[in-house]
Amino acid sequence: MKISIFRYDPERDSEGRMQDYEIEPEPHEAMLLDLILRLKGEDDTLTLRRSCREGVCGSDAININGRNGLACITPIRALGERAVLRPLPGFPVIRDLVVDMTQFFKQYVSIKPYVVDPGPMPDKERRQSPQARERLDGLYECILCACCTSMCPSYWWNPDKFVGPAGLLQAYRFLADSRDRDTKARLDDLDDVYRLFRCRTIMNCTEVCPKALAPSRAIERIRLMLAERAL
Amino acid sequence: MRSVLTGLRAWLVQRVTALYLLAFIIYFIAHFLFASPSDYDTWRSYAAQGDVKLLVLAGFVALLLHAWVGLRDVMLDYVKPISARAVALPLVAGALIAIGLWMLVTIAPLR
Repeated sequence: MKISIFRYDPERDSEGRMQDYEIEPEPHEAMLLDLILRLKGEDDTLTLRRSCREGVCGSDAININGRNGLACITPIRALGERAVLRPLPGFPVIRDLVVDMTQFFKQYVSIKPYVVDPGPMPDKERRQSPQARERLDGLYECILCACCTSMCPSYWWNPDKFVGPAGLLQAYRFLADSRDRDTKARLDDLDDVYRLFRCRTIMNCTEVCPKALAPSRAIERIRLMLAERAL
Repeated sequence: MRSVLTGLRAWLVQRVTALYLLAFIIYFIAHFLFASPSDYDTWRSYAAQGDVKLLVLAGFVALLLHAWVGLRDVMLDYVKPISARAVALPLVAGALIAIGLWMLVTIAPLR
């Protein structure tokens, strides 16, 4: 099959180019990452991020045939005869398939991704009923691979002001946490024209999430929390 | 400084006005289908009724608010330079207000 990969070396190239590779999958190679790593074995200038190679770490998020996904859990069979691989759209490219995720993590940190409770520290742990814990299902599983945020047109236009789907999913993860006491400040922080409300319910985020999570639903829940508070 | 129509409020205004406009459009389509005015005078006296006037004026207020939130959203996304924004936002706001005033002077005096 034919694999076309975006190549860019800031020390040699003034702009990116596509490089074509011919490669036939071996029987033991099931996932796209296996092929990319074999190509890297032959041409070690090819640069990408990967770590766990089983969809847990979120390092190898790339754009595969126009759609963001994790190379390590994308079956070769699903690709057909040709695969076009590009770095995550909307993020500055550092080299080849590696992008600069500084802005993405800045937005993530801005929603205070930790339980805030100004009260006295409990003797042991902060307890939570099984029912309250269940409300975090579908939220805590996010691996911050940025597939969703990088597919979001609203984020492309305002990456410095709009939190983006991954950050908002995490914002709701802490709004929904029974142990968190910072609900008011969290909601105040999101209630402006940019941080939450740039979302235009395009739903690319939910469509591409490799962990099958639904950032668009979390965003809707935050809007409802804001509405309930106001009405 | 926080503007009056931002965040949740802008979002709610856009949704509430959308619902009103939907009902408004369905009502008028139904009216023209089932009780179509036969000539201009019937149409005019229908439009001059107090409650119809109110419906239409409220419809235009809803339309203008809805358009303002929507167009401003588009401009915040695509019109990046502050200087261009400083021109585009007042221009659109002015145009919408002009439409509103024109509606008011046209419909309000109907007898």
